Amino acid sequence: MLALLFIIFAGMAIGCAVAVVAQRNPLYSAISLIGVFISLACLYVMLAAPFIAAVQVIVYAGAIMVLVVFVIMLLNVEEEERRRPRLKFLVPVAIGLAAVLVAETSFIMYSVRFSPFTPTENVSNTGLTSQIGTGLFTTYLLPFEITSVLLLMAIVGAMTLTRRSASLSPTARIVPGTQILAMDILTPGSSENLTAVETDTTTEAALLLGVKPRQAPEEDEEI
Amino acid sequence: MDLTINIVLYFVAITIAFLTIMLMVAATVLAERRVLAFLQGRLGPNRVGYGGVLQPFADFIKTMMKEDLVPAQTTKFVFLLAPMIAVITAIMAILVYPFGPTINLPLIGPLQLVIARFDVGLLYVLGITSVGVYGIALAGWSSNNKYSLMGGLRSSAQMISYELSLGLSLVGVVLIAGTLDIYSIVEQQSGWWGFHWNIFYQPLGFIIYLISAIAETNRVPFDLPEAETELVAGFHTEYSSIKFLLFFNAEYINMITVSMLATTLFLGGWQGPLVAQFPLLGVFYFLIKILFFLFLYIWLRGTLPRFRFDQLMSFGWKFLMPVAILNIILTASVAFALAALGWL
Repeated sequence: MLALLFIIFAGMAIGCAVAVVAQRNPLYSAISLIGVFISLACLYVMLAAPFIAAVQVIVYAGAIMVLVVFVIMLLNVEEEERRRPRLKFLVPVAIGLAAVLVAETSFIMYSVRFSPFTPTENVSNTGLTSQIGTGLFTTYLLPFEITSVLLLMAIVGAMTLTRRSASLSPTARIVPGTQILAMDILTPGSSENLTAVETDTTTEAALLLGVKPRQAPEEDEEI
Repeated sequence: MDLTINIVLYFVAITIAFLTIMLMVAATVLAERRVLAFLQGRLGPNRVGYGGVLQPFADFIKTMMKEDLVPAQTTKFVFLLAPMIAVITAIMAILVYPFGPTINLPLIGPLQLVIARFDVGLLYVLGITSVGVYGIALAGWSSNNKYSLMGGLRSSAQMISYELSLGLSLVGVVLIAGTLDIYSIVEQQSGWWGFHWNIFYQPLGFIIYLISAIAETNRVPFDLPEAETELVAGFHTEYSSIKFLLFFNAEYINMITVSMLATTLFLGGWQGPLVAQFPLLGVFYFLIKILFFLFLYIWLRGTLPRFRFDQLMSFGWKFLMPVAILNIILTASVAFALAALGWL
């Protein structure tokens, strides 16, 4: 029975993984990737690691892939056209890497079969939440803290990168494609007065916002 | 052999749970229409059956009979997949809630009234709910309609934002309980005539949870994805017949799920007076508490106007999230202090 479940979920994982590469529509690839993550979560449950399975679904399927799908939806990415492979030297490299992978797998299967240790039934509770928590906050405290600092740095970095150079008011919103500016962008603090300001050209808008143009425009450019 | 019997038992239990939930959805839909009508000084549907009790079934049959339209230039596969994802994830989340205490059956022996009990029940619920976003996002995208796309995007943004404060509001409960197993959390809230319920230890967490849960299920006053005046019907504009029915069901099942989670985590689940003597009374209490939350949903719908989208976002990120984090810090400090003083 367990073997049957394993075959189902492993087959789903492999099938979805192939689909990720084979699909030409990027959104289908993303959906297939979600399928891979969920099948992997099912496999983790079968390996008595429910916490890892839940985290896999929450973080990968629930958070990261939502962003990916979001971006694909917003950018309206076209279907990829099938074209001649340009980097031809990658084909033998891929074959070589595949051979290494197959060799590794067969070595693992060989060593498990002839291992002097016999697998025991269900005595491990390392996959349980309390065990993982205890481990993270005692033995592996330093790596855990370093990871959290790393994540914080990534968050701060993302915010720094998306910040605009001009000092806008915190309530300012810039809508791409429009030339109408809210009043409170120009005079911060007047958030009560939400009269919109319309500009005719990008340069005029930049002037009002106090943004210096990257290079001096030779003539006024209409959007 | 034992495994096979277990699987058959699980299958039976899941089928019963599924039918019960479907009946509850029908009852909720009817209750919503009737209660809303009374709140607005109308009568509501009262013609089919006694007092209108058969109205949901009549609606069901009528919707099923409608033509199943698929607009031109939709992404067919995703268009079909989206309502399935929505309803499957909604139904999957109900499996972990304990709906009664352990009862003694004459032939089988002691039986825990919960379908699936495992170590990470709470995380399972959060994980399944987070996958549910795809149903709405993909429906909006695949419909090839600007209103659907806007609705889908709004909905996904809203669900992602409020999922954070929802998850954070539950951390306080987990800190008190010391486990993610929902059954144990319910058992810990017994005694003291109900003053062991987590709502008394986590009032702030409860309020944050309630607000985020309403936003998470896209209900009034957070029903931006379906803002009729702006977006026709939001992400399900292009859906008709049984596919629309699936989305409709998913929304109501999500409401029930969220009410179940609120009941189990904050209101003591099936706990109540005389449960120790008559265990089956627990099921009744559980149902009453869920009905209270469902009534709250309808009440809010009859009372509050809709948020604006920027208000919704800034409320979620700039108010609810910080308060939720504050709640965690507060709970953790108090728990630590009590443990240090040896009172816990």
